[in-house]
Amino acid sequence: MTERFAPGDRVRVRVEQPEGNPRTPAYVRGRMGVVVERHGVIENPLDHHFPYPPLYSVAFRVEDLNGPPGPDVVVADLHDEWLEAAL
Amino acid sequence: MTAMSGDHPHMQDFEGHVSAVASDLEYFRRKRIEPRVLNYLRRGFVTWAELFAAHDSLSSEPVPDPPPDLELRIRSLEDSLDALILDAATAGTALAHHAVAIDDGRRERGDYNAEFRLATHSYEGDLETRISQLETTIAESAHLVAVLMAALVAKGEVGVDELAANRQRLSELGHHNGARIVARAWVDPEFKQRLLETGREAVRELDIPPGRLGKLGVAENTDDTHNIVVCTLCSCYPHDLLGNPPWWYRTDEYKTRIVADPRATVADMFGLDVGSDRRVVVHDSTSDVRWMVLPRRPAGTEGWSEDELAALVTAESLVGSAEIHEP
Repeated sequence: MTERFAPGDRVRVRVEQPEGNPRTPAYVRGRMGVVVERHGVIENPLDHHFPYPPLYSVAFRVEDLNGPPGPDVVVADLHDEWLEAAL
Repeated sequence: MTAMSGDHPHMQDFEGHVSAVASDLEYFRRKRIEPRVLNYLRRGFVTWAELFAAHDSLSSEPVPDPPPDLELRIRSLEDSLDALILDAATAGTALAHHAVAIDDGRRERGDYNAEFRLATHSYEGDLETRISQLETTIAESAHLVAVLMAALVAKGEVGVDELAANRQRLSELGHHNGARIVARAWVDPEFKQRLLETGREAVRELDIPPGRLGKLGVAENTDDTHNIVVCTLCSCYPHDLLGNPPWWYRTDEYKTRIVADPRATVADMFGLDVGSDRRVVVHDSTSDVRWMVLPRRPAGTEGWSEDELAALVTAESLVGSAEIHEP
């Protein structure tokens, strides 16, 4: 599976992705963030039977998650199919 | 909110300790113990009849009277919870050969869908009443775990010796591996670089079993960044490498607050003031990348040996709820 995004890319998290991996927290859905790291497809057979799509660390400013303004960020690890390119 | 900054030689706050036991007991009962029995029944790894037969085969030992002293009684409660957690983890090793993926369990216990979650017990009344209720629930849960293990042994799924060896191995897991990793990273910049880049592969250099649960992410604290780790969807942690995280890591309060306002939450819950010249970075794990924090080396430790440095490293500092103070 190809990795559609690279570090520095701005992305938006889909609100709904019924076919997608469920490990996408509700508080980032619909939010804009920046890809900070690519992890690729991780083999983790103890945890799940088949590999999931490529995984990225995506940084969100706390204030973009309805938190207080300031320099702080939340980095969530999200799978490819939940992300779309944002301008 | 009580600061959750660690153990004290004498218990200052009975209420805090008892509510921590209630919170953690409910986590393990609802997430790690009862759902596992249901999973095994659903998959046919064990039947109700086999569980009943195992129950009948266990001699019922009378529950000893709790210590009359309140502080000793609470410590005894905490010890019995620790034993339950270890036994539950041991039971989880019994069917490793059936390759039940962890994520199947998460789906079935409702991590992704609240409808599937088991009901929470509430513990109400005065302190001693709640302690008594907790003693009962811990004893009942311990019995359920014992019944499950006895049933799997009776079926020949696992041997008693194998379970004992697994229990021993699990009991030796702890933050000391993390402490050794941190100390090596402090004294050896090239190791630190390999750790940041390759994670689990690098810890083999210390003869630490690297574990197999996905990738190890290492978030390095610096003069301008303080990192803290959470898993908002379940409670993922590199526990196969570092042992269990602090108990509050599994609480809904921590998971909810830390992503909503990280800076205020670390100050309020842990008494940690991150200066205005540093940003706070929260890492919300998936099960595929499990994060640990590489804390900053404190001043005043120049020339210290790795062993001396490792002794400074706390379980809290590996999650990022505490810094390591100058000795």
